[in-house]
Amino acid sequence: MKKGILVSTLFLGASVSLFAAAYKIPEQSLNSMALGAAYVAHTEGADTAYFNPAAMAFMPQKRYVEGGATLAHLPAIDYTLDAQHSGHSKVENIAIPYLHYVGNTIGNWRWGLAVAAPAGLSKRWETPYQKAFAQEFTLKNVEVNPVFSYKFSDRFAVGGGVRLIYSQGKVYSDGSDAGIPLKREMKGDTFAAGYNLALLFKPTNDINLAATYRSKVTLNEKGKANLYFGGAGKQYDASVSIPIPAALNLAISKTWDDRFTLEFDYERTFWSAYKQLDFKYEQPILNPILSQAFDDPLQRQWRDTNTYRIGATVKMDNKLTAMFGFAIDQTPINEKYIGFELPDSDAKIFTMGFRYQANEKLSWGAAFLYDSKKPRSLSQGTVVNNPVLSHGGSFDGGGAMLFTVGVSYEY
Amino acid sequence: MRQTLYRLMGVAALFVLVGCGTNLDKPTGTVSKNAAVVVDVSGDLIKQKLLRAHFPGIDQNSTVYGEKAYRIVYDSIDIHGNPIKASGYMVVPTGLPDAVTRQLGLSIVLDDHGTIFKNTDAPSVMPSQTLLPGNDTSILFSALGGFVTLMPDYVGYGESKGAVHPFVMKRLAEDSAAFLQAARKVAQENGIKLNGQLFVTGYSEGGYAAMATLQKLEDDGESVAMAAPMAGPYDLNFTAFGVLSQPKLSVPSFMAFVGYAYAEAYGVDIATVINSPYATMLPDLFNGEHDRSEIDPKLSYDTTGPTGLFVPAFVADFFANSSNWFRKAVLENSVSAWAAQTPIRLVHCQGDDVIPFAISQATLQSMQSAGTQNIGIIPVEAALQQAGKGDGHLMGHSECGIYAYGIAAELFAQVRQATIGY
Repeated sequence: MKKGILVSTLFLGASVSLFAAAYKIPEQSLNSMALGAAYVAHTEGADTAYFNPAAMAFMPQKRYVEGGATLAHLPAIDYTLDAQHSGHSKVENIAIPYLHYVGNTIGNWRWGLAVAAPAGLSKRWETPYQKAFAQEFTLKNVEVNPVFSYKFSDRFAVGGGVRLIYSQGKVYSDGSDAGIPLKREMKGDTFAAGYNLALLFKPTNDINLAATYRSKVTLNEKGKANLYFGGAGKQYDASVSIPIPAALNLAISKTWDDRFTLEFDYERTFWSAYKQLDFKYEQPILNPILSQAFDDPLQRQWRDTNTYRIGATVKMDNKLTAMFGFAIDQTPINEKYIGFELPDSDAKIFTMGFRYQANEKLSWGAAFLYDSKKPRSLSQGTVVNNPVLSHGGSFDGGGAMLFTVGVSYEY
Repeated sequence: MRQTLYRLMGVAALFVLVGCGTNLDKPTGTVSKNAAVVVDVSGDLIKQKLLRAHFPGIDQNSTVYGEKAYRIVYDSIDIHGNPIKASGYMVVPTGLPDAVTRQLGLSIVLDDHGTIFKNTDAPSVMPSQTLLPGNDTSILFSALGGFVTLMPDYVGYGESKGAVHPFVMKRLAEDSAAFLQAARKVAQENGIKLNGQLFVTGYSEGGYAAMATLQKLEDDGESVAMAAPMAGPYDLNFTAFGVLSQPKLSVPSFMAFVGYAYAEAYGVDIATVINSPYATMLPDLFNGEHDRSEIDPKLSYDTTGPTGLFVPAFVADFFANSSNWFRKAVLENSVSAWAAQTPIRLVHCQGDDVIPFAISQATLQSMQSAGTQNIGIIPVEAALQQAGKGDGHLMGHSECGIYAYGIAAELFAQVRQATIGY
């Protein structure tokens, strides 16, 4: 494998997801984590503000607040080709907090607020050839999502809100250990906005039909980039656009005897918005090798995905509620353009959790999610934009284990 | 409700602040005291480049050192003698044995570059943008020769872009000497061990500047191991008489640059030197944005006359009047007759079509007459043929440059081997 080929196609891109396929994070509360995000039609607590604001209209007349945090453990990903080019990523442990609130009703109106991390990723490789492409790719987001609901009748309500997102991105690559004299350091941030819509229809007292839509938000990360050739570097004003894709959820739930609820959720995520990764620099890059490595747009050509979720809520008694979930999650990655930065694959997600009602106002609980990624084997010649992966190889490991604790208070 | 909202927004703000950190420091290693590292590449990388370019004498077994190059900003003087910030390019070879870098120390080659018009051709400018080694002479002296190479950008280029360049004037020597001092200081601050040995060279305008710099350094009490001025117009009076007596100019931009710089330095109205409309065009043509191929077609190739480059009265007075200001100026700036203590080798191609070989021959005579003991002349074509590297064909000014530099590098390496031991 010639270094020249490597140099000519060196790039960085997105990275492995924390939770679901790619870098969108559906689970943003205790219940949603325990139910594998099958939590759109039948929502109960303050997190209703985030998962289906229309459902706030049917919540009892009081205020709800929930806070918590998720610890994400991302095992290493192993890439196997030959001794020189095989490698593994670092294990990641990331804490992600959340906060939800639902206020009192005002006539047929109700308002709420969600603070969540709708997307995010962190992937760091420590082996030479992988580091050359993705020493670190980190995307942090926080979304402040004020929402409202309007109740048309006892059976139908709509909701919506504004998505206010602050995002920080960090992209590092370093080819020095692989004998490639190229290195990039980039940091940027941005504010972006979108919207979300929701409706809830209750044809019977025990069946809920729901639809939610979260709009695409384009994160135009702006900041500085240091590009190095050999040991010398130059700083540029730089930017890169990454979409948080739009997502449509259609969900149905049925409750039996007020004790057992089953929800089925279909999610369509419009990842096809992610067509290319194009780092832009305000100043021209006059070093032709650096320009080729870091300035040429990188094809992504992702595809829209389907995710199927099922969640079960079991009220064991007046104090304890158990929750279980399962999801089949499709990856949006176009194998032709896969990179070390994003060796994602289809996944099966298993979840479970509980909530304990400590008293009339206070409850708490914990949830666990296991994301099992399907191993991916690459045939020689399949990948067109990575000189190592074009020789084939396989990705194994990865996935995620998440642990969430949450506390709710109603007053 | 409003109070609750404010509280929640406050918590949200806290979320946002957690993990903030988008400040990116300047690239590591690029900033050191009084200098910026603009190139840092390995010898392997340079060797691959030379092999691809079929550089003479380079094969897979050749020893090629890496280059760490600094852009240095220092205090110099402009064409009027006023203080000005200037810049230069210092190339330090890397990958040499510890015995050299830690015990013996590195020798310096001070290389004054030839005539340039475009700012991007100044030694430090493009490497600062591309992070790539940008100069064949630094490859010869540093990557292949193991010398620290110093190349001033000259006033008028680099940091001092916009100032009038003192083209073939003794001011160049003051600038080169100031850069030498600044570079030594940067070397000291950055742990680069120097052994005190200094060589001086340069080609074309740089050949003139090298001779002028040598004179300045000797006046300052500096010890120079050897100087190899190459193809320079050392005797400006001889050169001016030669050029102005010809009906045609081979390179009008050169003579226009001389007229422009000297008129500026001596406070003479350029319109009395250069014919209209050329006189008014010169500030734009010499603003550092144009190269020679753009400038020459805009000037007259006729030396003088109604449509010529130079005002007829100016040329006539130059020949007829011994107190003509330009005649005095070129004599004042000539560096061809003085008693040098340093061994000098005048390197020049016999086929030079811009700076005639005869200038070096005349300089050899005048320098010896002035008391210079150790001076010689090396005709490049003959030297190459003698070394089995050429067929003896005469080479013009442009073609000659790289071969002349090769001879200078070899001469300096021999002296260093005999004195320092590496």
